[in-house]
Amino acid sequence: MVSALYILIAALGAAFFLGFLKDGMRATAYALTLAALVFMNFISAGWVWVFVVDGAAPVEILTSGFPPPFAINLRMGLTEAALTLLVNLSGLLSALYLKDVLLALGRRSMAVLLIAVMALCGIILTRDIFNLFVFFELAAIATAGLILLSEDKRALSAGFKYMIVAQAISVLLLIGIIFSYHATGTLNIDGMAEASTELKTGASIAFFLMFIAVVAELKPFPANGWALDIYESAHPAFSAIFSAASGAAFLFAADKLLHIGGAAWFPLATGIGIVTFVAANLLALPQTNDRRLLGYSSIAQTGLVLAVLGQQDILGDRYLFVAGGLLFAHSIAKAGLYWLSGLIAGRELPDWAALRSRPLLIFAFVTFIAMLSGLPPFPGFYAKWELARLLAGEGRIALLALILFGALLEAGYLFRWFGYIIKREQPAQRVACTPHKLAPVIAAVVAGWALGYLWGDLSGHANLLLAVPLLFALSFLLLEWLPAWIKNTLAIAGMVAFFVLTYAEYDPLRLIFSVIILIGGPIIFLASYHEHGRRIGFYPAAMLMYAGLTLLIRANDSFGFFAAWEMLTVGSYFLILRGKHSEPHALSYIIFSLGGAFMILAGFALAAQGAPQFDLASLSLLTQPLAPWVFILLALGFMTKTAAIGLHIWLPGAHGEAETDVSPMVSGILLKAGLFGLIVLLMTMGKQQLYGIELTHVLLWIGALSALLGNLMAIFEEDAKRLLAYSSIGQMGYAVFGLALMNHLGWLMALMFVINHYIYKSMLFLSAGGVAKRTGTRDMYRMGGLITLMPLSFIATLIGIIAVSGVPPLSGFGGRWIFYNAILSSDVRLPMVILFFAGPIAFLYLFRLIHTIFLGQLKDEHRKLKEAPFWIILPQMIFVVLLLVFAVAPGLALRRVDTYLNQFFPEGGLNWAGTTISSNYGYWNPVAIMITVCVIFGSLFAWLLFVNRKAQKVKQFNIVFAGERPYRPETTHFAWNFFAPYRKALGFMVQPFVTRFWSGLTDLLHAAADLSRRLYNGNGQTYAFHFIAFVVVVYFLWTGV
Amino acid sequence: MVYIAMATGFLLILIGFYGALTNRNLLRMIVAFSIADTGINLVIISVGYLPGRTAPILDTTVTAAAAAARIIDPVPQALVLTAIVIGVGVTALMLAYTLKLYEKKRTLDIAKFTELKW
Amino acid sequence: MEFDWMKIPYALLTLFIVVNYGFLLNALIQKIAARVGRRYGIPIWQNYVDLIKNYGLRSSITHGAMFYLGPVFRLSGGVGLLLFVPAIYGSYMFSNLSFAGDLILALYFIFFGTLGMALGAGESGHPYAAIGVSRGLSQVTTSELPLALAVFSVALQYQTLSVTEIVAAQQGGILNWTLFTNPVAVAAAMLSFLGSMMRPPFDVVLAPQEIPIGPPTEYHSSYLALMQTNRAIFPVAKIVIYMNLFFGGASDWPTFFLKVFLIYLWSAFVGVVFPRFRVEQSIRWFLIWAVPLGILSILMV
Repeated sequence: MVSALYILIAALGAAFFLGFLKDGMRATAYALTLAALVFMNFISAGWVWVFVVDGAAPVEILTSGFPPPFAINLRMGLTEAALTLLVNLSGLLSALYLKDVLLALGRRSMAVLLIAVMALCGIILTRDIFNLFVFFELAAIATAGLILLSEDKRALSAGFKYMIVAQAISVLLLIGIIFSYHATGTLNIDGMAEASTELKTGASIAFFLMFIAVVAELKPFPANGWALDIYESAHPAFSAIFSAASGAAFLFAADKLLHIGGAAWFPLATGIGIVTFVAANLLALPQTNDRRLLGYSSIAQTGLVLAVLGQQDILGDRYLFVAGGLLFAHSIAKAGLYWLSGLIAGRELPDWAALRSRPLLIFAFVTFIAMLSGLPPFPGFYAKWELARLLAGEGRIALLALILFGALLEAGYLFRWFGYIIKREQPAQRVACTPHKLAPVIAAVVAGWALGYLWGDLSGHANLLLAVPLLFALSFLLLEWLPAWIKNTLAIAGMVAFFVLTYAEYDPLRLIFSVIILIGGPIIFLASYHEHGRRIGFYPAAMLMYAGLTLLIRANDSFGFFAAWEMLTVGSYFLILRGKHSEPHALSYIIFSLGGAFMILAGFALAAQGAPQFDLASLSLLTQPLAPWVFILLALGFMTKTAAIGLHIWLPGAHGEAETDVSPMVSGILLKAGLFGLIVLLMTMGKQQLYGIELTHVLLWIGALSALLGNLMAIFEEDAKRLLAYSSIGQMGYAVFGLALMNHLGWLMALMFVINHYIYKSMLFLSAGGVAKRTGTRDMYRMGGLITLMPLSFIATLIGIIAVSGVPPLSGFGGRWIFYNAILSSDVRLPMVILFFAGPIAFLYLFRLIHTIFLGQLKDEHRKLKEAPFWIILPQMIFVVLLLVFAVAPGLALRRVDTYLNQFFPEGGLNWAGTTISSNYGYWNPVAIMITVCVIFGSLFAWLLFVNRKAQKVKQFNIVFAGERPYRPETTHFAWNFFAPYRKALGFMVQPFVTRFWSGLTDLLHAAADLSRRLYNGNGQTYAFHFIAFVVVVYFLWTGV
Repeated sequence: MVYIAMATGFLLILIGFYGALTNRNLLRMIVAFSIADTGINLVIISVGYLPGRTAPILDTTVTAAAAAARIIDPVPQALVLTAIVIGVGVTALMLAYTLKLYEKKRTLDIAKFTELKW
Repeated sequence: MEFDWMKIPYALLTLFIVVNYGFLLNALIQKIAARVGRRYGIPIWQNYVDLIKNYGLRSSITHGAMFYLGPVFRLSGGVGLLLFVPAIYGSYMFSNLSFAGDLILALYFIFFGTLGMALGAGESGHPYAAIGVSRGLSQVTTSELPLALAVFSVALQYQTLSVTEIVAAQQGGILNWTLFTNPVAVAAAMLSFLGSMMRPPFDVVLAPQEIPIGPPTEYHSSYLALMQTNRAIFPVAKIVIYMNLFFGGASDWPTFFLKVFLIYLWSAFVGVVFPRFRVEQSIRWFLIWAVPLGILSILMV
């Protein structure tokens, strides 16, 4: 293998040789630069190959023929090889990206670029502390040179601010080095590490100075104003190097210093790192400039890795896996985003909407923010999982909480940004796409996915990128060029085929969910045939959601469960975002969902107690005092998906604004994921007490309040789809309540709601969507009298509302009947009162739904409307049949589950004798009810038809109206604010307290961030003062502690 | 003697920092940092100095065999040489920056270069 | 399960008895109310006259098939409610179709007619009908709540949802009636009863005395006749539930007639004394006075 020394030699040599070229020979100079960079990459890649494939031992490189104490030595190991490859690759790609600039500025700029890359490689390779200082200075000088590549004139002052701080850093570093040398007698890092009993004490000011100087290069909060200014003003290709390569090199330098200082110094690294992570993410919230925002994010991510460096004592042999995963995810994503930012003309975040003309670049952007947010299947996800597991295992809960909080903030602004891209108006300037600028972006995307695969392989868990459902979903990315109907057919076929292949593997409980997902999903997909064109972005997102759902019910261990949870969250987010006005709602959805996901992560991490594998079934083995906390975390996480009251504010907008065929998917199917989670949780953990409070009782209250308030909010809603969305909150409340009853019938009722809610809510959403498509509005009071024009939609709605309301003879009654039997066997009383109240309220919104849309007065502008499109009607009719079948024969679905539940709740099952279903308290015969009702109803109806066979149809306005005839439907259609008396009586209960609470919280965060970022007043001298103050304060905090 | 040198060195560093933080003129700040650099170099030298020994140059009076016992530590001196060189480079670069900044705004007041902030 | 076909003529017999009793009872109550107001009141057979007249009328207009659903749902609701509950305790002949379901079925079937009526009335396109529905549904959410709580309390008390078993548990003396074993629940249920009988102070839904308002606004002739029939059946059917749950049921027809009459009289008694509430007032009234009693009854069981 070529010696690693040649990395430095090649760069130096090329830079030196560039000086001899005439200024006119720019193409040659550029070629020479690229050649040198390619060669450097070749060496690094070769070493990576040697270490990974051959498993070679690290190699020491001696200079001037002496062993370490007497001469500088370098080392090439796996870490060094990987990091130099990262540095060299970002250098090469940025050089490619900078082609125009470098050719315009000439050979000197190329030499500076080469020196910068060389210096960063040197920082990584060297094992000599003073040599490290030299490379630091080289890197600083080269950085200051490269900042000037920017066309932005403000970069000049940013560079000077950097120089000031760099000077201060070098002073501290030198003092630290010389006294450390004095204490140990060597400049060799490994030598210092061996000899440094004194440095390891934690009180050594010499080591402190060295360490703080290196940390200062990592832009710790608040001594990082200079870095932000650089990020904002420098050329994006340089920022890519500065963020990806410099960050990696300096982090490795910090790691080397920690190697010297030892475990006593770890808390310092963690402390600085985590403060930086949280603070930078917080301050990023009010940012509007894209590059400055990325700068904040860079600083935050570097801080996170620094915190991880400080946790190496507990990370053990997973240290490199975790730190590397976070570092590579950050570096690649950040470099990619900076390169992307060079393609965008405007500097405001909404200007990125220009990307919309290029689906490929959107995919790249998604890849990058998914990597930054630590979503599967990228390295950051695996690293985050391991980190959480080990932190929780060691009881470092506060640190874990801070990390997750910071990560949530970061995901918040990243996804908000993505919302701008998808939803904001496209600016006039198009994306400037030249091949040499596109190539680095593509390379970063490829590298991201490749590392995702690699990290999956190393994770010790199942590699997510080998999971069939996920691969199936991802394959739709490659099929985007096909027309929508072909993709739709493929999706349906794939899901059904997967079900046919796997249905034997599920237990009866999971079977219900799998049928809803894998058979219910395709039924809703029938409605998607209505869409024409290619429908770019729809199928990958939808299939990602379904893949997540499928993997969720198939998961056995906590890792698989959590990964599936994140996938379905992200997939559904993309789906929801597709709605016309859903930008803010999709954002609140993803924030709530990720917040919930982090709780689940923390819960599982706590539960695992450091064990690498944790089966879901082992949740049952947890004991006090840990168990209730795990229970709370997991339950809260799952309830963000079931939209329990308090965590519900995302749902109405997200479901209401979604596309016609998306609403039933995210309502009828996606909400069940939360219920499934709760089922798994309650099935394993059962009842838990915390400070004497029975937690399932708390769940009961939450479920009951969700049912009541969800229903109440639904009746005051003018928008048909939002009304249905609020109704979902209520319905999920019932289901949560049933589960929390913790008895046989309660669970059966929850499952009944799972099935029923899927059928009727999908049906109603499709129906409302179809009507909205025809009328062009979702406001119900603008409709009216559509029954004759859209009879099939009407029938679907009619059957749907009868089923939802729980009136016999349809299946909703079965749910209510089981509910009453379930609460009879429970000893909890008060929450039932609330549910009793909630029940009849459903009539109000249901009647309103059907009355204001289909009955009443037809509007003039709707007189020529047609029935909803065939493909939207078809699934509704299937649902009608399903509902009727399920109403007459609930045993088809429930009987096996009933038996299955016996192993958890042996008592209180149902008897299924013939067509009668009986419990300990009562009985119910769906067939007899259906026949009786139909006979009475049918004979009366037939009689009326017969009597009035000659009657004429009345004209629309020919009604008795105080002796006059109205001529305008608008004034006669009593629809707007339909339940005004109810609002007068009980309106106080639906004041938006929860919305106000959450928006108050986000406003507070924003205001705090906006206030504190004024710390960075732009004055270089202030920044120098920040730095000095930072050092002093940290020192006193550190020694004081 | 060693302590006087070291104390002077630290004093210079503090003077340098004080100067850099209180002077808003770019050139004065650069001068201040140069003073701090000098202080550093003094400190480094004084750390390596051993009383009663000679310069680390091998010649007829100091043979290679006896060197370990007779010369002061040569490493800090080597470091200082390097540090001086780097210091010159950095100072030059800062001066170049100052020139450019002055050309842009016709002022040397650092408080005037605050377009980038928050 | 073997189905006994004789149940059908038996059930029809019950229906026949109840319809006739209902007509007479309605007229009687109306007459009592009139006498309280120093008026003479209608003849006792007035309902028969109206019914025959209305059935005899032939309408020549319709608002479409959905319009029929109003009366049809309404009457199905009444008849169904009657048939799903055993009328006479211990009598196979008058146990009706109670094998089809228990108390919960009856409770939810009360809503069947309400919902259907609301639908049919909506189809007429008349705003007064819609206003009436809006008021009626609003009121019913809180007026039925105490009843639901009381029923739950009784079910808890007897540990069953079967109406027959609840009646059986009350046999053997008047002190075994739920009225005495669980008085709070009965109080709550009787307050709720006021709300569902369409008499003052809770009759703003129909406002029968002034302008025609409420769901039946557009219904006439045979439609109205169907609804009149229901107006005879439904209160009796509902009172039968009350009688069975709270007042020991009835083991023969005379007891049946007496108990139903007395329970019905309770609503008339209150109705002639009190003026009318607006909807939001009655909602608050039920929440403040009746619901706490219901909650109390649940907690005390």
